[in-house]
Amino acid sequence: MKLFKRVDILIFIVAIIIIILSFTTIGSVGGKPTVKVTSNNKEWYYDLSVNTFATFKGPVGETTIEIKDSKVRVVESDCNNKVCISSGWVSESGQWIICLPNDVFVLIEGDTTNREGDQVDDTSF
Amino acid sequence: MTLHSERDKRVEFVALLAAFALFLSTVEYMIPKPIPFMRIGLANLPLIIALPLLSKKEYWLLALLKVLGQGLVTGTLFSYIGLFSLVGTVASALVMRVLFFSFKNSITFLGVSIGGAMASNIAQLELARLFLFGSSVKFIAPPFLVAGLITSVVLGLFANKFKERSLWYKEKLL
Amino acid sequence: MRKGYIQLIAGLLILPSIFLQTDIVFIFLQALYAIILAISQKKKFKLLPNLILLISLSTIHLLQPNGLLLTKVGPFNITLGALILGARKAFILISLLYLSHYMVSGKVRLPGKIGSIISLQLLYVGKITSTWASLENKRPFIEAIDKLLFSLEEKEVIEEDKKESSDTPLIGPILINLVHICVFWIFYLLPKFGYTISLL
Repeated sequence: MKLFKRVDILIFIVAIIIIILSFTTIGSVGGKPTVKVTSNNKEWYYDLSVNTFATFKGPVGETTIEIKDSKVRVVESDCNNKVCISSGWVSESGQWIICLPNDVFVLIEGDTTNREGDQVDDTSF
Repeated sequence: MTLHSERDKRVEFVALLAAFALFLSTVEYMIPKPIPFMRIGLANLPLIIALPLLSKKEYWLLALLKVLGQGLVTGTLFSYIGLFSLVGTVASALVMRVLFFSFKNSITFLGVSIGGAMASNIAQLELARLFLFGSSVKFIAPPFLVAGLITSVVLGLFANKFKERSLWYKEKLL
Repeated sequence: MRKGYIQLIAGLLILPSIFLQTDIVFIFLQALYAIILAISQKKKFKLLPNLILLISLSTIHLLQPNGLLLTKVGPFNITLGALILGARKAFILISLLYLSHYMVSGKVRLPGKIGSIISLQLLYVGKITSTWASLENKRPFIEAIDKLLFSLEEKEVIEEDKKESSDTPLIGPILINLVHICVFWIFYLLPKFGYTISLL
């Protein structure tokens, strides 16, 4: 009574390999590149790899950041001097942008050395 | 109004197999599962044993009937469950046919079953990645795939045994 | 028979308003409405599997931090945005599920060949179930299955032609379903025009 043959074993091995691979892609949960925004004693976190906009209300009005292509910048702000906007894009861990008048502090955290290319626009579905 | 042409008989046969798939999925539905997404795939059994029995057209009709039947009876045809069922079944049927007809004598229903289950699960995981979880799907992937492997091995071994022992099946092979 | 078709078509027209939904409060309302529709067609609503879906989807989405930080659990940041995103997706899925139940609950004679084949399939399922239940000796297993399969082929499969006796006026169902369609689309359009109900 033949329960299995050569190719069965082959396929079984391939399946095992696939499963092992799936275990290794989990990687680290923490340490993902994150944009941390601190304003008005509250904190917000955003995934650096997800394109999005976010607006924060402060003492002088609103400040809006844009995350695009794993970079972040302040795109609009109601402050007078607009220094925050002129700071341009930042993308490395530890870099920051600040809008002092409006109490908005943008910081990049996590490990930005490993670029995964995970461009999923989660916020739109 | 029962025309017993050869063609009608074949269609009846496919409907019978499809009915079995539906029956098995109802049985599976009644088995308590810890996690809703873990499916045993009992309903794939007819799709496995039908490989040497049906023509290409008939086989795909069977796959279609399996998806439609399950979808209509459970009322999930137009929902995400129906979509997952469709994608999984199509991927599975495709891979199983390729494996079965490429390796003929070097493979048994065991390898076919494993291949089909892996194809189905991977296709569904990809669908989940696109529409449900995004990149976080990689956390569900391992247990999902492991469960799929285990159940497909059991199913494949059973299919082999069935081929050995069933008189009905032997008759159909002729 | 016709009523079923109306429900089916109505459902198809409602579908986009659900999976294009972007507002968490309104998708929740859509889900409630869909569940009510399903219940009206005598379909059951089970809380537990839907709750599991809601919790698991929301939890998975927390792995991608998004939005206002609510609290920290170990190394994980629990963010409001991620939670809402996960919940919204869960409600979309739930709405689709119960809408699907509603669409399928009318007695529709499926058109053409595929319809009659499916009817045949369902007929066989009934036979399989009753024959299997009446089998005394289910061990040895494969022999029992053989017995079942052989018996299915002996009998003639007679198609029962159910004649629809009364053609009840369709205006009622058409109007009701138009209302359903409008409700779902209003729920979709309101947040688009800025009528959001703020949670915070």
